[in-house]
Amino acid sequence: MIAPNHAADSAPAADEGREIRVRILRQDAPGQESYWERHAVPYEPNMNVISVLQRIAAGARSADGRPVAPVTWDCNCLEEVCGSCTMLINGRTRMACSALVDRLLEEQPEEIELRPMSKFPVVRDLVVDRRRLFRGLERVKAWVPVDDSYDHGPGPRISPEEQEDAYPLSTCMSCGCCLEACPQYTKIEPVRREGETGEAFAERRQGAFDRGFVGAHAVSQAMLFNAHPTGKMIADERLEALTSAGGIQMCGNAQNCVAVCPKAIPLTRSIARAGRAATVWAIKRLFDR
Amino acid sequence: MNVSTDESAAASFLGRNQFLIYRLFSLSGLVPVGGFLAVHLLTNASILGGAESFQGRVDLIHSLGALLVPVEIALIFLPILFHATVGFMIIAGGLPNVGSYPYAGNIRYTLQRATGMIAFAFIVWHLIHLHWLGAPVRGNALPGFDPHHASSTLAVAMGSMVMNLLYAIGMLSAVYHFANGLWSLGITWGLWTSPAAMRRANWVSVVVGAVLAAAGLGSLIGVRRVDVEAARAMEGRREEMRRMLEGEVPLPSARMMETAVEPRAVESPRTGT
Ligand code: HEM
Ligand code: SF4
Ligand code: SF4
Ligand code: FES
Repeated sequence: MIAPNHAADSAPAADEGREIRVRILRQDAPGQESYWERHAVPYEPNMNVISVLQRIAAGARSADGRPVAPVTWDCNCLEEVCGSCTMLINGRTRMACSALVDRLLEEQPEEIELRPMSKFPVVRDLVVDRRRLFRGLERVKAWVPVDDSYDHGPGPRISPEEQEDAYPLSTCMSCGCCLEACPQYTKIEPVRREGETGEAFAERRQGAFDRGFVGAHAVSQAMLFNAHPTGKMIADERLEALTSAGGIQMCGNAQNCVAVCPKAIPLTRSIARAGRAATVWAIKRLFDR
Repeated sequence: MNVSTDESAAASFLGRNQFLIYRLFSLSGLVPVGGFLAVHLLTNASILGGAESFQGRVDLIHSLGALLVPVEIALIFLPILFHATVGFMIIAGGLPNVGSYPYAGNIRYTLQRATGMIAFAFIVWHLIHLHWLGAPVRGNALPGFDPHHASSTLAVAMGSMVMNLLYAIGMLSAVYHFANGLWSLGITWGLWTSPAAMRRANWVSVVVGAVLAAAGLGSLIGVRRVDVEAARAMEGRREEMRRMLEGEVPLPSARMMETAVEPRAVESPRTGT
């Protein structure tokens, strides 16, 4: 997407003066009312949603010329690997950096609609608090448990077949598209109570997160690390997490997650594998007790 | 299940046992509830073979006698009630979004919930309409079903076109729910894990669904073809036979024997010693 497009450099005259209309669902702070605001930016070839947002922020004026606070959003890598720029673009969850304006206008010529993700608390405008997503990864211990600086020698060998199986899962960028589209993953937004200390609130919030659905991304990461020769050492702990409240059983097999994942990760395969592992694990535990 | 930020004791119990409850829920959809649905629809389809063949199947079921009610309660009503209760809890906890994500899997997910609820309403109506459980509710307002006069009472009860339509909708909902549920159940338990295996498993669901839908619609057609008068006569003959066999009415041969043979001696050989 960075390679120059020479044909487009000599911008065709038809694009001269063309405007892109954008409708943004804004919110000034957590818990406040949200409101729609219209913007317009001059069309340029090869724009993506981030470059549109950059023009909007630079202008800091709504479509009717009113000065407004610059719209805020999250982004980092601009090449669909960091996972930070997820938003609802024309009603569908996707990465703003790889959402090309020309495609979006084919989809819906009048206007581009931007909304923050609906499953996470809004921090401001298009920025959301995805703490629960990362908590999901913590719940299933989505890591290889090596926590020292000793030289353990070379790690166990992983066959090419296993590598091929694992690699796609390892490309997960924690963007949360799978969670946004999942009908079983519903928003949890605890509000700090009057007189509640920050610590007490954080604890209550974590408790609520830990009872909610852990999410497809975490299920898939649990399967990735349970297949890893060293990660396997705590396979039981991951299965324990996957069969506790909000675990794998919350999935209703809508398979939206796999349809929207920008990295095309075989999430439903991971979910079914987790279902199988949970079946075996639950039976084993029944007889081992 | 809805997640609140504070946990009540009930929520905590459900949370701790959530995995077990959901797996029992999933299993109950297959056995006994799904198994019952299949047997029920296939039995009903026997009416296509005539009133007498249908009466034979019904008699077979009712040969359980006094055991029938406890069996019905333990293997049919309680499991359906359990599955439906957990099912409604699951429905309440989800947030369908086919509008934004109209993918095949998502449509199936939504239909699974819609047909579950339709099936529930239908089952309640079906019990009121035809089952002994519903007798106090329906009173004399509806004709009801008499297992000893299966085809004739059914033909009368299913007389109107509206009733046929109602049954077709309810039955097809239950069949869709069961067939699609089989596919989903295989993922839940990890029977099919790869996309290719899921596609193959889909065919199993399609075939099971098609067979059961054909059986269900077939029984509706079969009931419409019943000649009520002829069926009543046949059922009357069978009723007479049954009562004779159960000793409520003496057998014709026994009546002849009574007149021909002297009653046996009162004392048995043992009483003499
Ligand atoms: C009576 C009202 C019923 C309701 C409210 C209901 C509800 C549900 C719901 C919501 C699901 C989806 C669960 C999930 O995927 O997470 C489901 C699954 C299922 N239901 Fe039902 N259901 C009902 C009746 C039935 C009946 C009559 C049958 C059998 C004929 C049945 C068989 C199944 C099966 C096999 C599944 C798949 C379970 C799985 O995915 O693991 N259900 N039901
Ligand atoms: S699994 Fe896919 S959609 Fe989900 S967080 Fe990872 S990359 Fe994003
Ligand atoms: S398959 Fe499960 S995790 Fe994926 S979108 Fe559906 S319900 Fe959510
Ligand atoms: S900015 Fe990194 S994924 Fe979009």
